[in-house]
Amino acid sequence: MAKVEVTIVTYRDIFQEEAKEIGRYSDEYRDLSALILLDRGDMKLIKTEDGQTVQVETDGGMVVVTARLSEEDEEHPGLAFMPNSPWSNQLVSEDTGTSKIPEFKRIKAEVSATDKDVDTISELVERIRADY
Amino acid sequence: MAVCTGCSLLCDDIELEFEDGKISLTKNLCRKGEGRYRSLREDRLVPAVDGAKVGFDEAISRAAELLGDAENPLLFGWSNSSLEAQRIGIDLAKKLGATIDDTSSFCQGYLMEKVLRGEYPTCTLDEVRNFADVLIYWGSDPSSSQPRHMSRFSYFPRGEKRQRGYDEDRTAIAIDVRKSPTVVIAADGFFRIPPGGDAEFIEALLAALGGKIPKVKDKKMKKKILKLGSTLRKAEFGVVFPGLGLIYSLKDEIDKLTPLITRLNEVSSYKLIPMVGHYNMRGFNQTLLEETGHINRVSFKDGVEHGTQFAVTEAVNDCDALMVIGSDLISALPAAISKKLARIPTVAIDPHRNLTTDMARVTIPSAISGLEAGGSALRMDGVKVEFEPVIKSGYRSDVEILSRIMEAV
Ligand code: SF4
Repeated sequence: MAKVEVTIVTYRDIFQEEAKEIGRYSDEYRDLSALILLDRGDMKLIKTEDGQTVQVETDGGMVVVTARLSEEDEEHPGLAFMPNSPWSNQLVSEDTGTSKIPEFKRIKAEVSATDKDVDTISELVERIRADY
Repeated sequence: MAVCTGCSLLCDDIELEFEDGKISLTKNLCRKGEGRYRSLREDRLVPAVDGAKVGFDEAISRAAELLGDAENPLLFGWSNSSLEAQRIGIDLAKKLGATIDDTSSFCQGYLMEKVLRGEYPTCTLDEVRNFADVLIYWGSDPSSSQPRHMSRFSYFPRGEKRQRGYDEDRTAIAIDVRKSPTVVIAADGFFRIPPGGDAEFIEALLAALGGKIPKVKDKKMKKKILKLGSTLRKAEFGVVFPGLGLIYSLKDEIDKLTPLITRLNEVSSYKLIPMVGHYNMRGFNQTLLEETGHINRVSFKDGVEHGTQFAVTEAVNDCDALMVIGSDLISALPAAISKKLARIPTVAIDPHRNLTTDMARVTIPSAISGLEAGGSALRMDGVKVEFEPVIKSGYRSDVEILSRIMEAV
């Protein structure tokens, strides 16, 4: 399976912020959170299209989210964007360096196409609980 | 008129209409604030112990037990609580000999500390509205996170010395790695930088302000930065609004920003207001600073101690009980750290169900500030805003919950 290496920058989105206020468990919150915005060229490399699911993997973890074509004016191969959420946080390393602030906005990851469904919040919760 | 606690702008112009004791119409709320109002009816938390519903009193006494029996309790959250609740929280931490930390610890803390200690010049948002002509949104996106920032204060409104409208009177600069909605408004004032490119951009700007050619490879960008240098020099009243993009890029090297702020104040007059998210993060930082000399990451185990070992991301390694108030910590932190959190016996106080409350031993539902509970808070610029409850509900305020826990431990 073709993979593409990207640096993920997380961001906040007002529609997602609104959905968060209403509830972490809503489908609306998942639809607006479990996303990765990719460069057109990167999408081609991994043979995926807008709206299909992709697997995103880092040393910290793995998550399945929906791929979206980024709306940036300029091409940005190797750079991807994700709304800040429990989905993006599956990927952030626990290494916090001297500042003790996690690397929320510079996540090195590999993205590949997948047939799997988008992870639900309950699945994320299960994974967090797994080592109980 | 009601106050919205949806973000650190604490909008105090919210108009409400009621029908049968319920809010039937709201005016002036942004989408995010609208979400907060709608949340009155969604996913409310219930008092529970180990997943079983209990009465409020039982939840309080189990919470007190859990915290009182611990060797190393950690009390976290606070930026979604009123000043009054924060004060009790700090007293509770003292009484328990606990570690106390808030969301600023992995967010705006490094910068907020500079502002609160008077190391960076700052001003109020009302001054911004009345006088500011050059606005620098740096790694911040108010259109998404503080949605009425540009319309109430910084860009669109007319003010005392800004009577001709934004297109003539104000210049918006946006420095970002992506085309955010704020970038779209700033249009020609957009400077795209690579992730982590903030320190380099600071260098380039310093060169441009000193009349030197900035060391930038891209020719177009070089020209643009030189032009920006002259725009910045001509400002009468400039304001920098740094967001998480800048903070996460510099982190504990935030001092790299200092020469730029100093230089800007040599060529003109510049202020800085950190773009805080939660409605009362600044309140907690200021209160703790007054009490202990530190804005966050404090332990009361042995007098007052401060250090990175008391940052929530570290303290999680050796705390044996956790209280989280008004924060969905499990959602907010990397999964690897959340896994550790999930193993710690936790008391979660929140108006709503979330990932943290779902993993907690004891849950205590609370009232939503500004809607069901009154109090006061510090807006992102330090202005104190007071709010009254606007509807009756059976939910207890953070003040009441914390006072009860305090009595019981
Ligand atoms: S800008 Fe912030 S305080 Fe104002 S209405 Fe929106 S969420 Fe509420």
